Amino acid sequence: MYFFKLISTLFKVNVQMAVAYRADALVNILLNIMWLGWELLGLSIIFSNTDTLGGWGFGELIALLGVFRIVHTMMMTLVWPNTEKFNQSIRDGSMDYTILQPVSSMFLVTFSRINIWRTWDLVLSIVLIVIGVNLAGEVATPLSILNFILLTLSGAVVIYSLWIVMIAFTFYFTKFDNNVTILQALLDSGRYPVSVYPPWLQVIVTFIIPIAVATTIPVQGLRQELGTPQVLMFAVIAAVSFLVASLFWKAGLKRYSGASS
Amino acid sequence: MPAIFKRLWQVNWAEQWQYRANLIMYILYWLVSPIIYLAVWTSIATANGNVSGLTANDFITYYMILLIVDQLTSNIIIHIFAYKVQDGTLSGELIKPIHPMLTSTLVNDIAFKTLNLIVLTPIWIVLVLLFKPQFDSVSISGILLSIPAILLGYMINYLLSGTITSLAFWTTRVYSIHEFYYALILLFAGQFVPLQLMPEVIQNIARFLPFQLFMYLPIQIIQGKLPTNAIVQGYITGILWFAVALMVFRLVWREGVKRYSAVGA
Repeated sequence: MYFFKLISTLFKVNVQMAVAYRADALVNILLNIMWLGWELLGLSIIFSNTDTLGGWGFGELIALLGVFRIVHTMMMTLVWPNTEKFNQSIRDGSMDYTILQPVSSMFLVTFSRINIWRTWDLVLSIVLIVIGVNLAGEVATPLSILNFILLTLSGAVVIYSLWIVMIAFTFYFTKFDNNVTILQALLDSGRYPVSVYPPWLQVIVTFIIPIAVATTIPVQGLRQELGTPQVLMFAVIAAVSFLVASLFWKAGLKRYSGASS
Repeated sequence: MPAIFKRLWQVNWAEQWQYRANLIMYILYWLVSPIIYLAVWTSIATANGNVSGLTANDFITYYMILLIVDQLTSNIIIHIFAYKVQDGTLSGELIKPIHPMLTSTLVNDIAFKTLNLIVLTPIWIVLVLLFKPQFDSVSISGILLSIPAILLGYMINYLLSGTITSLAFWTTRVYSIHEFYYALILLFAGQFVPLQLMPEVIQNIARFLPFQLFMYLPIQIIQGKLPTNAIVQGYITGILWFAVALMVFRLVWREGVKRYSAVGA
């Protein structure tokens, strides 16, 4: 409860900051719609030249686009803005004030900036998923929907944990400004099923920077390609990676010594 | 004038060298989307035998050449110039008797490009080993014939980006406008897919736009895939667009500088 209260307070603060830039918001929403249109056009161009992509049909790709946009929204609303703030706070030492708060520093570093205008994208993503599933003509059973939700959450947690580890490296190498570039760069690979990539790239986006775990795998759950044990395995992986990330964060925090000392 | 450019080159070359670590990250970042498109289209071509006559190898060579052509024709003006208008550092450059956008910014961009190509070369070779393209259709004459197209593409892109960057004199939202311009390039330059696979409508529009000179046209010329009349038509369109872009740029720049008043003035 305590954390929900904190999040809602931080949310309010960010709304207040965001309404000062209404025109920017409008421009961003328009650009966002343009990119969505572009993505749909891209898919229709692909499917005017083929029936399946990596074994998946048009509807499945739309559903995948929806899942991808959920992850993308998480990055746009929380991860990238907070990375920027975090890197700045390590450079100028304002991290001091974050650590002094009587709340988990990892929590504050995650939620202090919220890009409010991006949150509506979640609705769009869910609409895409529903349309995609209907187009694919798969009878999504209650179980497969449950699996899908569980896998989406697990995937998001895995990506989030990776992000925590990446920014925690900044405690060791202060000048490490490019701490998340590799994640930013590879994120786009989540638009397509991982099976279209050459083996070496599949290994990278499945095991090293596991974008596929958050995009391809949930849609596989929806397609009922994964059994309950596998779904549970991904939930366990998510829990373990979160644990490892928190430990890594704590260890990194011990290295922090302010900007001038 | 040559002496000025020589000195500008020395300064900007040295400046770009400071950021070599960032540069490698930038290149990796920039590489991902062409590689994704390459993978997507290669997988489709492999699954179906070919896509409207294009084989998997055609896609691989297309994108491998694209990596180099895109480096050559793109620019970073928006990133190295727009902020100067916003924070007022442009004042110092305006006093100098040389055009800020067409001299120091240009040289800075070329220095950046040169360093990028040096960093890209080993990565490109690794990618060639990974994807194993057969460059059978590439000929010396094709490469020579593409050089003017690449130059023209670079100049048009530079002037159009310069025009958009100059809008910073009017609005702070110049980055959003540039994002829109970038989407047009993605659509009409042949980055997402070789243009001949686009719907007929888009192909017909693309033929009259300058964007195909940024990627599609030079790549196709290098691959020897274009008949002479298409090459001639591409060059004529390019030259016309160059004239238009130059005129628009000069106009927008002149009006913009008139409006400019530095922070604190």
